[in-house]
Amino acid sequence: MIHSATSNEDEIVLDVDHVWKIYCRNLKRSMRYGVQDLSREIFGKGRDRTQSDLRPGEFCAVKDAHFQVRSGECVGMLGPNGAGKSSMLKMINGLIKPDSGSITIRGSVGAMIELGTGFNPVLSGRENIYINGSILGISKSEIDAKFEKVVEFAELGHVIDSPIMTYSTGMKMRLGFSIGANLRPKLLLIDEVLAVGDVGFRMKCFAHLRKLVEEGVSIILVTHAVSMLNRVATRSIVFHHGSIIHDGDLETGCVVYEETMGASDRVGNQGNSQAQASTTGVSIASVEVVDEHGNANKEFETGQDVVIKVEVKADRAAEDLNLVAALWSPVHGRIASMSTASQHVQFGAVKDSTVTVTLRFEKVALLLGAYHFNLSLYGPVSTDFHHRVSGIGNFRIVGPPTCSLGRGIDGILKIDHQWKID
Amino acid sequence: MAWRLFLRNVRGMYRQTFLGLFWAFLPPIANTAVWIFLRQQGVFDTGEMSVNATLYILTGMILWQSFADALQMPLKIFNQNKSMISKLRFSREALIMLGIGEGFFNLAIRMLLLIPAFLWFGVSLSWTLLLVPLTIILMVLWATAIGLLLMPLGALYQDVGRFLQLAIPFWMIITPIIYVAPDTFPGSLLVWLNPASPLLLLSRDLMLVGGSSFWVPALLVGVLAVPMFLLGLVIFRISIPVLVERMST
Repeated sequence: MIHSATSNEDEIVLDVDHVWKIYCRNLKRSMRYGVQDLSREIFGKGRDRTQSDLRPGEFCAVKDAHFQVRSGECVGMLGPNGAGKSSMLKMINGLIKPDSGSITIRGSVGAMIELGTGFNPVLSGRENIYINGSILGISKSEIDAKFEKVVEFAELGHVIDSPIMTYSTGMKMRLGFSIGANLRPKLLLIDEVLAVGDVGFRMKCFAHLRKLVEEGVSIILVTHAVSMLNRVATRSIVFHHGSIIHDGDLETGCVVYEETMGASDRVGNQGNSQAQASTTGVSIASVEVVDEHGNANKEFETGQDVVIKVEVKADRAAEDLNLVAALWSPVHGRIASMSTASQHVQFGAVKDSTVTVTLRFEKVALLLGAYHFNLSLYGPVSTDFHHRVSGIGNFRIVGPPTCSLGRGIDGILKIDHQWKID
Repeated sequence: MAWRLFLRNVRGMYRQTFLGLFWAFLPPIANTAVWIFLRQQGVFDTGEMSVNATLYILTGMILWQSFADALQMPLKIFNQNKSMISKLRFSREALIMLGIGEGFFNLAIRMLLLIPAFLWFGVSLSWTLLLVPLTIILMVLWATAIGLLLMPLGALYQDVGRFLQLAIPFWMIITPIIYVAPDTFPGSLLVWLNPASPLLLLSRDLMLVGGSSFWVPALLVGVLAVPMFLLGLVIFRISIPVLVERMST
């Protein structure tokens, strides 16, 4: 159910209450189910289905989503493709109905989903501003009043009377954004449309969104461009396989999102790590990430000590072992590689014993992000291979915040440096 | 909004053509010319006509075109605006109003053809002509209602659209447009059982003859037209979220 509440007593603008959405990937079945659902809707039987009521071929695109958005809050909605973000946005926008749960919205909803939808290519930019505006619910007198601002914001004054078909893709998107930017809803939904135009125009868009947030407009921003989010968002909701796996501060959300991006192949939970079976009887038995006090931990801040404890198990005696640790980021790839041999740390194991190898990063220089290791165990020479485990020892750097606006540090590493003016 | 979209489509409709509005006149002229030629060759028997055959067929063709357009409009407009429907929230009924508006616009243009034709064949105007806008509006609403009821299924299964494309030429043949409606059983069933016939034939008679023998079936259909249209709109509205959902998967 999607409710539209008019009460202004609470500052909650959007209340998503245990929402489920079910889809079917099989085309023929999907059409058949469509007919069934249509007849149920027409005869007023409605629907209330969750995971336990799936028909053959169906899957849950959104599972039990539950969150609220308050007035003047900008939420970044993150997640890999197919995680359920767009389905959630469509439900909030009222384009589709939840199969279970309810969505309550206080105030009007505006959406910038695909810029320029509804443009007629043979008509001029001027004519299309009026048409697109009316589709988005802006009255003619309102458009009359804002027309010059729209054209000026889009920087298209010189071509406004030319047919849209002569515009470049970027110009069309700029015009679309500019029209949408004049919406003043209580809740604004933005889906992957911030890759608009050149850097200057993008900055202008972000400045505009910040202004809207200051005016009390709530924004839900769906994007894969995580680095852009902190220009406007303060909170993040991360979807993975249809479920919300994080709802909280932006920085942690970005890190959790990075982890989900790598979860399919390189990293995830310890259970997701990929290990090649050892054929030599010497193997990496376990990996644990601990803090400076030896307590198991997964979340650190830049500048804290991160300690990795690797247990090597030997079913037979082995000498001159070399443990190679490659540090990876799901987003940036391999960050660094190091080995016991490089620091002339020699170790071996007697038969049926376990040796603990500790790798310590003092005052870790890594910035916000998710990280993990690929560990390989060799003998005295590199052809003397014992064992390899990938996507293990994962940890997150969750603070302090970075700044992509050029007013702080950003990237993967915090490198000691000094500025000097002569 | 429907008005803005209507202006958009009308302005855009013929902008990229050389012959412009002529394309609106062409289908009824071409159809009428073909049927008149076939009639003159004695390919089929039109029956005894009280007015000139060319005028009779041309008027019937123009009305039939409007009926067929209105019938196919809901599905066509859904398919044409799929992208907008699945991405933007706006009044979806506006699209149906837009379709009806476009239908009347095209009908009005085609009707212009009748002015020289009336003058040429010396048709005397009757007061019943005043009733024609009402009967035509009811006919268009009736056809739109049938289209609206078919649209949800047609949006899921393309078979409906393909069937309509195949069936409409045959439907035209069994509608008394190019021949005089039989008034004896079983030929009279072409009027009583054919949803296209009653209001179309009444409208033509009111325009050309000044009286009609189709009042009763037309009245039955006319009474049903508005409630059926409203029911169609309700079903259209209910079905859109389900259809958008199926387009998303």
